[in-house]
Amino acid sequence: MDTLFAQLVVLESSLALLFGLGMLWRRGVPAYISAFLWQSLVLAAVAATVGYFGRERELYLVAALLVVVKALAIPWLLRDMERRFASERELAPYVNTATSLVLAGLLVLFAYAIMRPVVAASQLPTRTGLPLAMGLVLVSLFVVMSRKKALTQVVGFLMLENGIALLAILGTYGIPLIVELGVFLDALMGFLVMQIFVYRIHETFDTIDVDQLDRLRH
Amino acid sequence: MNAFTLLLVPSLASALLALLVRPYRRVVGWVNGVLSLVAVGGAIDLWARVLSGEVPVAGDLLRADALSALLALCVSGVAALAAWLGPGVGADDDYDPAQARTFRIFANLFAATMLFAVTTDNVGFMWVAIEATTITSAMLIPLHASRASVEASWKYILIGSVGIALAFAGTVIAYFDFVSLAGRDRLALNWTVLRDAAPALNPQVMQLAFVFILVGYGTKAGLAPMHTWLPDAHSEAPAALSAMMSGVLLAVAMYAVVRWQAVAQVTIGPGFAEDFIVLLGLLSLAIGALSLWSQRNYKRLLAYSSIEHTGLICIGLALGPLGVFAAMLHLLNHSVAKSMMFLLAGRVLHRYRTAEIGGVSGLLRVMPWTGGLFAAGMLAVIGLPPFGMFVSEFALVRAGFAAGRPVVIGLVLALLAIGFVGVIAHLNRMLYGPVPTGVAVGEGSGWALVPLACCAVFLMVLGLTVPAPIDGLLVRIAEIVAP
Repeated sequence: MDTLFAQLVVLESSLALLFGLGMLWRRGVPAYISAFLWQSLVLAAVAATVGYFGRERELYLVAALLVVVKALAIPWLLRDMERRFASERELAPYVNTATSLVLAGLLVLFAYAIMRPVVAASQLPTRTGLPLAMGLVLVSLFVVMSRKKALTQVVGFLMLENGIALLAILGTYGIPLIVELGVFLDALMGFLVMQIFVYRIHETFDTIDVDQLDRLRH
Repeated sequence: MNAFTLLLVPSLASALLALLVRPYRRVVGWVNGVLSLVAVGGAIDLWARVLSGEVPVAGDLLRADALSALLALCVSGVAALAAWLGPGVGADDDYDPAQARTFRIFANLFAATMLFAVTTDNVGFMWVAIEATTITSAMLIPLHASRASVEASWKYILIGSVGIALAFAGTVIAYFDFVSLAGRDRLALNWTVLRDAAPALNPQVMQLAFVFILVGYGTKAGLAPMHTWLPDAHSEAPAALSAMMSGVLLAVAMYAVVRWQAVAQVTIGPGFAEDFIVLLGLLSLAIGALSLWSQRNYKRLLAYSSIEHTGLICIGLALGPLGVFAAMLHLLNHSVAKSMMFLLAGRVLHRYRTAEIGGVSGLLRVMPWTGGLFAAGMLAVIGLPPFGMFVSEFALVRAGFAAGRPVVIGLVLALLAIGFVGVIAHLNRMLYGPVPTGVAVGEGSGWALVPLACCAVFLMVLGLTVPAPIDGLLVRIAEIVAP
């Protein structure tokens, strides 16, 4: 039973990381949005799996929230934004695809290195997925830092949040539900405010290429 | 009605009032001002209770020890300054009623989230509240929509959110550490529970958690090299918001670091946590001090000075009980001085219509009181006697020698001297010289100077002596953080 549990979790975590890496070689915001959508679904599946095998009923609620907020509501809003800015040309990121992939590989290795004591400290069957979650956190961080389009940065940030949620579910079977709800609320509000600002950037600069945001450079 | 009602409810009530009264009326601003003073009363009440040895709690959610009381005082005090001097009270400000309404709603929510962050016992909710500060304050930066302010708020919200997300990753890892030791517990995210469990936690795991937490909350606190959002956000925001961000938001982020440091250093033991903190602190101090030289904008000058002082506070935290005492005294000084300076800078900007240092001259002749206070505040900020920062910096230096870190202290003194010279040159240019054509001479809305003058007097008092009630509070904090 435990081996099946462990294998399922590692499979799902790998998929979540893979969708994160997809940001690096795919082009175009629609592809990023669907990668995020699928990643959120996989994350919900992880929550449900851990909920089932670990007998944590609360995680079913978390899974349901993940589906509603991150797989339905946010992708829908993202698509809406994307349609308005569809005419914008695609931009080359600060780092090219090949280099990005090599760096991402190194980041995942680095994640394995720093998570060694964490994995060693845990007895949970889910522990083998922990470095993958940390890998997703670091890769998403890299995506946010290396992209020029505000919308792409937002997707990178959302994936970073997914990575942390994965870390929490795998490492601790979820943080206390009441805090989890607060985190969800923040994530949603944060996203909505970011959305407002993407529109504002578009209004004031006629583009969402943040490379144009250089008035304040010092 | 418990010890926290007076502190937490007024700002929420003010936000609600501003939301309901539409269109905005000036009376909302006045009510907001009065309610903000009620919150200050609530903070003083907490302070008195803490001094009498009590630790007020409300369920498992709220708890106020000396550290919370100090931050509650700073936050409610600066929020009151912003409420009285912010948009929508005086007749001659640059804001229309819609902007004043937006300001009143979000500034009060901003204050409420900060006050909640410093009084909750649950580090998970502390995180939720600090994340919420980013959301509420980012809405206010482009109150005057311009390219620069939209850019500043985008940088702020993106870098701030990412930083805070990393702090959450750290929180999760620390929670993991607890769960692996003691199993799942509803209260495991309560700071008191974590602190009691700290000696038994896994040091290597906690080390990783603390790195994430320090980088994460350090981003919000403006520690280098994650500080890049800070000068933009602080210089583009409306004066009252800059005062809140620089005066207390940075302090609230440092508060989160201190809370975790108190847990982490027990688990990890001496060495790692302190070294990491000193490293980031020195880097911030260096970047802050060196950047002071090249600034052409006086609000950015103040912002870089905030980075410098956050760095100092950070260094103090790693220097044992004496250092914590000095750091917290410095935090109090910085809250008072920087909120006063940003509000004065707002007055200067309102009159001269430029934030360029080169565009401001003859300030002492144009607005003698504002200019005088501005000069006094600037001298306080660079650590001259008879102002409070001289005392706290002196205490920090002494703590450094006592803790056996003469090299760190040598670097601190050198960098402070560099910053000092950089600021003095700019200040001279602004105070003296001819009055530019088209700039009216004479103070406007003089009553607004009264609270600002009170800040200057308070700084001077702190420069002469540390009053017993404050001393008692700081001693208790040092006992909590560095037992």
